[in-house]
Amino acid sequence: MADIDVVPTEFRNVEFTADQIRGVVARLLVEAGLVDHPGIGSVRIEVDESTPLSKVVTQSLEPLVICAQSGALEDRRRTRHFGGDEAADALGRAVFAAADRLDPTFDGPAFDADVGVAHAVAWDCHVVGRMARLGHRPQRQRRLYSFELRHGFSDATVAAFDRLWSAERLTWAEIVAISDDARSVVGAA
Amino acid sequence: MRKAFPPEDLARDSRFARVDRMDQIADPRAASGQGGGRPNQRLTPDRADSADAARSLMHGIFVGEIQALEGAGRTCWDFETGTDGAPFALKLDMARQCWDEARHCEISVKLSEHMGTEIGEFGESAFLYQAACNPDPVLRLTGVNRALEGLAIDVFNTMKEFGSISADPVLEFCEDWMLADEVTHVKMGSDWLRKLTEDDPERRANALEFQRVVDKLFSFGGFRGEDDESPVILARRFRELAGFGTDEIDEIAAISAEARDEAKAHRASLAAQG
Amino acid sequence: MADPHAPRPAFAPWDRRELPGSFTVEESARRAGNYKWIEMRLFEALGGWIATVPELDVKMRLGTHCYHHAWHAELWHKRLPELREMNPERLAVPPNEQMERFVEALTEPEAADLTIEKLVGVYRVLIPHKIAAYTYHLNNTSTITDAPTIRSLKFILHDEMDDWRDGEMILQSLIETPDDVRRAAERQVELETILVAAGGICGPGTLGGPTSDEQQPHQEVSA
Ligand SMILES: [Fe+2]
Ligand SMILES: [Fe+2]
Repeated sequence: MADIDVVPTEFRNVEFTADQIRGVVARLLVEAGLVDHPGIGSVRIEVDESTPLSKVVTQSLEPLVICAQSGALEDRRRTRHFGGDEAADALGRAVFAAADRLDPTFDGPAFDADVGVAHAVAWDCHVVGRMARLGHRPQRQRRLYSFELRHGFSDATVAAFDRLWSAERLTWAEIVAISDDARSVVGAA
Repeated sequence: MRKAFPPEDLARDSRFARVDRMDQIADPRAASGQGGGRPNQRLTPDRADSADAARSLMHGIFVGEIQALEGAGRTCWDFETGTDGAPFALKLDMARQCWDEARHCEISVKLSEHMGTEIGEFGESAFLYQAACNPDPVLRLTGVNRALEGLAIDVFNTMKEFGSISADPVLEFCEDWMLADEVTHVKMGSDWLRKLTEDDPERRANALEFQRVVDKLFSFGGFRGEDDESPVILARRFRELAGFGTDEIDEIAAISAEARDEAKAHRASLAAQG
Repeated sequence: MADPHAPRPAFAPWDRRELPGSFTVEESARRAGNYKWIEMRLFEALGGWIATVPELDVKMRLGTHCYHHAWHAELWHKRLPELREMNPERLAVPPNEQMERFVEALTEPEAADLTIEKLVGVYRVLIPHKIAAYTYHLNNTSTITDAPTIRSLKFILHDEMDDWRDGEMILQSLIETPDDVRRAAERQVELETILVAAGGICGPGTLGGPTSDEQQPHQEVSA
């Protein structure tokens, strides 16, 4: 099992502990098949507790370094408190996307490439669908809404979303094609 | 049943979690670090976080509707008819508002389902209802129906535009209908303020002062305003329909700008200390 | 086409309305005043309870029903001057002290765990009594002279029946255990006892028989 470093080790602005974050990430690494991956080495989670915003950025793949603003790991019902579901969702999307990128058959975009927002949302839906089947809080409708916002509100969009959500493993090219098709249907309407 | 019902006793099922507004204000993250607090930013579909930002705002609207329903209901109950300044017709208006707000709750539940938000997914602060606890019916109606319902006009108009730009037929449809009701509620407040303080300029001045306080509180340090930084835009046209004069709308714009500048200065001074 | 100038009966053969009715103008006004009073007490209580019930569906239903009863109060308020009562407040009173006691007892529960008690009072005691009083009035007043009251009664009864069914179904969904059944039954007994002592929402004579201020039953006015 890879070492998981959490920075900072102690929090001042939020009621988080490094162990809570480590516990969530350890489970995600197993589920994403990254636990014994030779490339990622140690895993580092950097939390920016100076802001309540909720952006998560993967800074490097090998070693795996994920930077999360504290709002991403916060219980939406309790200001400044750690939210297990929220953290699993935010960090899980980063960990599973990293696993996709490290899989040569996925054939993902270059690490520093600018992935358009519609494609990024489509990828997210594919990731969260897989996580839901592993027992994470599904929030399927939340993801559908986010997908519709980027691809239009239509039956065709829902069908496209279902393909992303229920597929066990798609390649990057397949994700891009589903996203582009969905947008072209609405564009043509 | 008591005649005054405190915000901390508002009854909720187990899905809801109450958050203390003071905890949010005291959150050290709102001031410190390079990131700063939650930025004020117009809610538009091209924002990367627009789906979750819209869901969060919609949940805020939903709990706001519950509290508006509770507040209008309490105005039916808390005041004797006639004797202490709550005329029969005013109470009928409040009962009508109960029905409208109950429908707004229903609409909000359906909209939340559409947007993938679970009931109680976000914390609820009870400070909307607090304005509905004023023991003077004139002040209560001015604070609730002119300040808060006025804010509702601004919020619904913003959400309606968001629905229109993102071509979301459900959101736009719902917000448009709720907006129509809110204009009616604000007009109720304007009409009753005029009627009940016709011969009492001091009471009218007090009520308008209370409205200013509530308006400022609900400008949330720049949450509502007329510039690009404001997530919610002051809806001038709909406010005119609801009986606001241009000078009154200008005043709310000024109060909002003042609230935004004060919040900025507050953040800067905390950051300098920290 | 028939000759437009040919005489026709004023009452078509299918129009079976009749002149006789059980109520004088004064008696109609007295009842309308009692109705306005109880509709007001009911919409105020439903409004007040909204904040006190944790069940979301109940909260929203109370808000909707609150307006129905306010509108009924408004209909009676507007009917009173038409019944020669130029000061509608004068007659917007309870029929007797027991009725006031009933409303006090009805509106007493506040705690969040007393939804059953609140709803039983409204939907198993008060609204069935209102339906009975309104139906008695509808079936006994003159279908010709008191048509405006009949029109209001029909609108109101439509609401009352719908709301009664709503409330009864909510109650059935809340009553799950033998203890809940007992709570509901005890509350009904408590309130029904007071309302029976009051003689109904218009006092004695609500469903016929002598009213509180008369010894004799009403003489029917015959045509
Ligand atoms: Fe509303
Ligand atoms: Fe409203």
